[in-house]
Amino acid sequence: MIGLLYLFLVGVSSLEAGIKALGADFQVGLLERVDHPLAGLFAGVLATVLVQSSSVSTATIVGLVGAGTLSVDAAVPMIMGANIGTTVTSTLASMGHVRRGDEFRRAFAAATVHDIFNVMAVIVFLPIQLKTEFLSRSAEMIADLLGGSSVRGGKPNSPIKQMVKEPVAWAKHAFESITDSDQLIGFLLIAFGLVLIFGALAVITKNMRLLIAERIELAMNSLISRGGGLPGMAAGLVMTVAVQSSSITTSILVPMVGAGVLTLRNAFPVTLGANVGTTVTALLASLAVDLRAGLVVALTHTLFNFFGILAIYPVPAIRRIPIRLAEGLAERAAKNYLLVGAYTVGVFMLVPMIGILLFG
Amino acid sequence: MVFSFFRRGDTDGLEVAEGKLIQMLADDRHSFDVATSALLTGADTSIVGPDLRASDARVNKAERELRQALVVHASVHGTSRTASILVYMSVVKDVERIGDYAKNIYDVAAQGVDLSTAPDRDQLIQYRDRISSMISEASTIFTDDDRERAARFISEADALLDEFDGHVSELITAEEPGREAVPRALLFRYYKRIVAHLMNLLSAVVMPLDRLDYFDEDRVRP
Repeated sequence: MIGLLYLFLVGVSSLEAGIKALGADFQVGLLERVDHPLAGLFAGVLATVLVQSSSVSTATIVGLVGAGTLSVDAAVPMIMGANIGTTVTSTLASMGHVRRGDEFRRAFAAATVHDIFNVMAVIVFLPIQLKTEFLSRSAEMIADLLGGSSVRGGKPNSPIKQMVKEPVAWAKHAFESITDSDQLIGFLLIAFGLVLIFGALAVITKNMRLLIAERIELAMNSLISRGGGLPGMAAGLVMTVAVQSSSITTSILVPMVGAGVLTLRNAFPVTLGANVGTTVTALLASLAVDLRAGLVVALTHTLFNFFGILAIYPVPAIRRIPIRLAEGLAERAAKNYLLVGAYTVGVFMLVPMIGILLFG
Repeated sequence: MVFSFFRRGDTDGLEVAEGKLIQMLADDRHSFDVATSALLTGADTSIVGPDLRASDARVNKAERELRQALVVHASVHGTSRTASILVYMSVVKDVERIGDYAKNIYDVAAQGVDLSTAPDRDQLIQYRDRISSMISEASTIFTDDDRERAARFISEADALLDEFDGHVSELITAEEPGREAVPRALLFRYYKRIVAHLMNLLSAVVMPLDRLDYFDEDRVRP
């Protein structure tokens, strides 16, 4: 497992090195496309939907920030978009229940409550962030406490960063023996990095799921008998940190809610815990990048999810909003399956693509 | 709940399911014993009744918990455990039905039927004792996954079914009045169904999934 984590960090470092190798012109060009916050938001959604993993997309964003290509302010909306994009997996998982109306209605509600919560959190916190930089400045303060130096320009020399740079240097040397073009070397390093990130996370996720399956079962049975609430949230967080994937946690909840053994109200806090738990991947990725800004973005991701819970969960009347909306949507979707397709394609593909075209 | 995540133990859903099934069979045996005691040994139905209802409640609760455990197991493990999950979903119904037939036997006693002084009482009690021990034996065979013993059990149980059918046929053509023949016919019918459900349970040990509750001669010949 440690070896796989190391490979993951090498992948992030390679991604960072590849982007730097592409040169300033490319980096400026990329930045222009996502400069508008809504373009960044929708780019985050679309990228995450395409890779089916917020861990991969947020690690990539951290790599971009770490390379100095993306500013923290430009990255934050993309991180928020990644939160929304990752919920497509559980939405797709709910469609396995489509043959049985009641089952599908429950399963679809379990999947979409996650989408709705994330959209609500973006509606609340994106304007706040744009106006006050509340999330990123809070993340900076925490990064300063952890690292003891200014984060905007800091280039700490952590031992982990030193350890992951070596294989990247070898890869770069190997690519330099193939071509003289800096751009091509940059693309090769990016591809190499993405393969490592994808591959390492996939194997980590698969292995950890097998290793801790019994413990997940125990936690889920406990959740059913004792209810959700804060313990459910903590269970969702711990499970997601362990398997490094919020999609696995939520895709376990969907069939359980679909079968009726777990209520939506008890599954909801587990989903929120998974939202926070998945931010660990970006925090790990920040260990491998040059700039402390990478850590700030990762911490922003954590804080966004944490404050999202604080804003929506504690007050019962507000907490009920995503649940009621999900139940209402599922009720209609169970009667008209066209709505399911329209929702899925619309929210996760069409709207982000149109958004990028309009604002990018 | 968070601490349960860090705890070790027998938490595999299939092990939980098996445990619940064994617990249900123990309660079924108890239900059968007390129900037949009301009919065959003159036990007070006002005492037997509440005991039986409590036992039935335990069986129903265990069945719900077993199904719940299977849903969780399927959700966590995906399709890799489908066959085992389907087996348990099938056999739990057979085990639950044994308890129902025990209640049916009690219902006959509750109607005022008392066979404790009947001339064929000893024969009925012999059958009772045999079935009671078969419930326990089936539980052990299922847990041990013992194919040979399961095949022998099914073969012997099949012969017992024929005996019960024979007794019912005799009663159909007998000259005894209805109040003598009907309770006996019902009792043999319930005995037969209980044994049949035990055979279904053990068919899961010897038969493939798609042929549960069917008995391939080649597979069940001891």
